Amino acid sequence: MAELDGPALLSITLRTLAICGSSLVMALGLGVPIGIWLGSRQFPGRRTLLGLVNSGMGAPPVVVGLLVAQLFYRSGPLGHLELWYSTQAMVTAQILIALPLVIALVVAAVASLDEDWALQVRALGIPPIWRQWLLLREIRLGLLAAVIAALGGILSEVGAVMQTGGNLEGETRVLTTAILMYTRMGLFESAYALAAVLLGLMLVLAGLLTWVQYGERK
Amino acid sequence: MSAVLVARDLRMIRRSVASCFELKISHLEMRSSEVLAVLGSNGAGKSTLLRAFAGLEEPTAGEIVRQGQGPVTMVFQRPIALAGSVLHNVSIALRAQGLPSPEIRRRSNEALEHFGISKLAARPATALSGGELRRLALARAFALEPAVLLLDEPFDDLDAGGQETLSRDLRQAVAQTGVAVGVVTHDLRRAVLVSDRIAVLIDGQLRQVGERNAVLNHPADLKVARLVGMSNLIPAEFDAQGLGTIDALHSIPTGQPGTPGPGWIGIRPEHLKVDVGRGEGTAIGEGELVEFSSDGLLATLTIAWAGQTLRTHLVAGRGLARDLRTGDRVSLALRLEDVHVLRDSPQGEGELLPMA
Repeated sequence: MAELDGPALLSITLRTLAICGSSLVMALGLGVPIGIWLGSRQFPGRRTLLGLVNSGMGAPPVVVGLLVAQLFYRSGPLGHLELWYSTQAMVTAQILIALPLVIALVVAAVASLDEDWALQVRALGIPPIWRQWLLLREIRLGLLAAVIAALGGILSEVGAVMQTGGNLEGETRVLTTAILMYTRMGLFESAYALAAVLLGLMLVLAGLLTWVQYGERK
Repeated sequence: MSAVLVARDLRMIRRSVASCFELKISHLEMRSSEVLAVLGSNGAGKSTLLRAFAGLEEPTAGEIVRQGQGPVTMVFQRPIALAGSVLHNVSIALRAQGLPSPEIRRRSNEALEHFGISKLAARPATALSGGELRRLALARAFALEPAVLLLDEPFDDLDAGGQETLSRDLRQAVAQTGVAVGVVTHDLRRAVLVSDRIAVLIDGQLRQVGERNAVLNHPADLKVARLVGMSNLIPAEFDAQGLGTIDALHSIPTGQPGTPGPGWIGIRPEHLKVDVGRGEGTAIGEGELVEFSSDGLLATLTIAWAGQTLRTHLVAGRGLARDLRTGDRVSLALRLEDVHVLRDSPQGEGELLPMA
């Protein structure tokens, strides 16, 4: 195995962004509606669901990875899809890791609204689609927090993506799995280069979101 | 003034783990160009009624009938600012309705102007003070040009000056637009400040509804009397001519003949006069001033008379209010037309019926 070169670094970085970006978009697409629903409705069993979501926030990613790997393993329930060691399996694991974070932060944002907020908007005769848009606008800081938390969770995660992706060169190798691999091989310079990119990405993305969040608060 | 919203045989049951509350309204209507104040203590069902009128809560039984055109809108007890500027808040519902931009601009500007917050149009709504937010909520509602506007405790978090200004603005808006306004409040003074008619709600039951002065001066029963500030309630035995005897030495002529029997005499504090030197009213004897308090504007006199405790008000810092001291003897008088008679109901237990 050779030292890491520029094109390989770029390829790994772009793949990481693509996989994490897909996971984030899908986690938000699923988590935001569920969070709004859980945050704005009262029904029997709601507390149990919230308890599950909160437990999910603390679930070890490596356990999530194990479950997803089992799911897509050749003899697993979804083995016929032949997705073991694929980017799709990695995305599935990352969605499951990010989903509880997104749901919990959206629930908290919705719950922090005035209890009469929804009624007031209804009382103004605003149609349902506009009401949803206004709600998203209202909880946008909570949404940003959810994006930052979810992104942090999936971008820095290594166990689950290793189990589900297998670190295949040119296919499923991402920054975290590559760092792990180069460290094991004793190629610390390559590992540090990848680590610097990963940290840089985290700082840029988190900084950007924080800047947006700060701008909203002003 | 025509009815624009009518509640008929309305029944709303709200259950919680700890309690069950029922609101019952046989008939209540809101009329155009009129302010109806719904008066009641906390938990009487005022807000539930208002939400039912606004279509935000479904009645368990009965119906609320809309008559005429125009939206029904509501402003909540804690005014809610939507994220965005003041102008965004006022115009968002109009934009959602798909109105043309010039129309949105006209209505928004008029509403902001009317409630004196034009200068705040660009400011984030969440940065407004309580009073400004209250005005924004009203401007936002008025921009819809509603047929019915429902206000839940609209004077909360406003000082006396703010309440007066808001009341004036509201009256002007009602006169200009013909909107029917429903105001719920637990505060009698605020109800009197804005209303044309008053509906009294006690424990979920509509006990009386009528013109403001009629309700204030002729409450339907003891509970209503207490709620509308008729604090001087004196038990009496009435004869056929309407003379109410309190004890061997004290009586009050009511000028209201009826069936002899027990009942109560109700006198509003402002109708009980002290010192009959100028010969006004009918003298009912002397009492002793047992307590004197003043808030700087109004002095409240508590007077012991015929074993009863009566209250009356004077303008603070003037005339008698300046000279009187606790323990002084004062002459009491009243006008016959200010005396309200409440007869015992067949059920007794303090439930009273107004004299026919």
